[in-house]
Amino acid sequence: MKKPTPKKPSARAVLARLFGASAKDIAIEKSVLTGYATVGGKKVCVIGTGDGTYIDNAAALRLAAHVIQCIERAPKTPIVMLVDSAGQEPNRVAEMLGLASYFGHLLSCLELARRKGHKLITVATGQAVGGAFLCYGMFADRIYALDQASVGLMPIAAMSAVTKIPAPVLEKLSKTMPSLEFGAAPFALLGGVEEVWSADDDVQAKLAAAIAASSTDDNRAELGKKRGGRKLALDIRKKVLAESAR
Amino acid sequence: MTGAILFHEQTARQRIASLVDLHSFAELLPPPERLTSPYLAQLGIPVSFDDGVVIGRARIGGKKIYLAAQVGQFVGGAVGEIHGAKLTGLFKAAARDKVPCVLIVESGGVRLHEGSSGEIAIAETMRAIFECRALKVPTIAVIATDIGAYGGIGILSTCCDFRVMTEHGRLGISGPIVIEKWMGKKAYDSANRALVWKTSGGKTKYLLGDADALVHDTADAVRDGISKFLGKSSAVSLASIKARQKELEKRLKKFGATSEPDAVWKGMGVRDIEAASLASGPEFAALAKRGK
Repeated sequence: MKKPTPKKPSARAVLARLFGASAKDIAIEKSVLTGYATVGGKKVCVIGTGDGTYIDNAAALRLAAHVIQCIERAPKTPIVMLVDSAGQEPNRVAEMLGLASYFGHLLSCLELARRKGHKLITVATGQAVGGAFLCYGMFADRIYALDQASVGLMPIAAMSAVTKIPAPVLEKLSKTMPSLEFGAAPFALLGGVEEVWSADDDVQAKLAAAIAASSTDDNRAELGKKRGGRKLALDIRKKVLAESAR
Repeated sequence: MTGAILFHEQTARQRIASLVDLHSFAELLPPPERLTSPYLAQLGIPVSFDDGVVIGRARIGGKKIYLAAQVGQFVGGAVGEIHGAKLTGLFKAAARDKVPCVLIVESGGVRLHEGSSGEIAIAETMRAIFECRALKVPTIAVIATDIGAYGGIGILSTCCDFRVMTEHGRLGISGPIVIEKWMGKKAYDSANRALVWKTSGGKTKYLLGDADALVHDTADAVRDGISKFLGKSSAVSLASIKARQKELEKRLKKFGATSEPDAVWKGMGVRDIEAASLASGPEFAALAKRGK
């Protein structure tokens, strides 16, 4: 397997686009982003990944430490989570040390932040795939994506390689089943992304509006049904809730 | 114990029947409702009337619980849209009714044939699990089979209040075959069962503190393990996450440069590796001074 090549634009360029001059205070260490910036004149906490990096045990701890610091020192400050990560690198030592638990810890930190009144907003800026998206980005109150972002479980070629289903078959089905398609737009049809921001959008204004409009209810199943990309999830969930109430 | 079918050898429905009080299980969305995956149907892959997860209400020792058991024989217990929605609904019902929720895990993660829908469903279930936790409704993952808890379900399992494991259970994200492909057979031989289980198996997870109980591979032992946690919850508080941060930092510092699982066992207080390898459940736990 090939190691992933870093995606352009660079993490710095992405930060500048989202936070303007205030991006200068965000630290980038081994493509892990932590810091504070300003959105619409208000302070936000920033955590994230850049350059399509892998997220490992140490990276999860750095992100978690910053969330804890934000809860302690900047109560109720919105947390903006940026995702550009190829996922977790398959690694035996990382597994032996419990990478899943490191990710679970990061999620617990974000959950505490949410309960303490921090809004959680994700912007998928590059690769937002698999475990790297699940371990923090998909846990936000509301999730957005830049249109250049690669959002989803995996590209069709990779899905075909693992499932042994020929790629043309998956390609054809993906026309009617957006769940199989890879990208920000089909992911939005499933309700997994609230809105996709294009290159022409004023993303700083969009981000400010997203923070203002954020809500802690998980609306993804409703969105998926409304947009027609994920037709069953909401009804099945409701059925479980109704039958269990009897 | 002798002669009884081992927990890891049972099917999902057998596991439920042998864990809960007699005739107490009432399945929700049972097979006669015929809720099957439209994705698998389109791909010409056999479907299952429960979509690979059995959910319902039951009692353990007279206490009400919600219970889900994943079906490993059906596409590896992987999570598709319906499977995932059943889990989300169940944890939401648990939060609404303030009834503990037990997940008998047997899943490799997202069902690849259904693409991103399964991934979103796992994220939604994580939110529902934390809804329970905020209300102090216990959430318990039982990880006790060879398929174990991998991928997104591995991460999801770590979101529950407690994990009950057997030595057969495995908890992780990337499985041994994927890692071998990536790092090479020299770094990780996926056919080396001892190494695989010492990397991701219940014993190592218990030593490190990622499993809260290590029990024998029988339904009775698993039931006792679950019972201990039904009245408890583990709050997500500033104190708890700060303590966990320290613990995980310490673990990475202590073992981050180690590739040898025996070093982890020794570092976590196992004196006699051979005796510990042969010991099961509580006997293993007695041979180690976990985390000391």
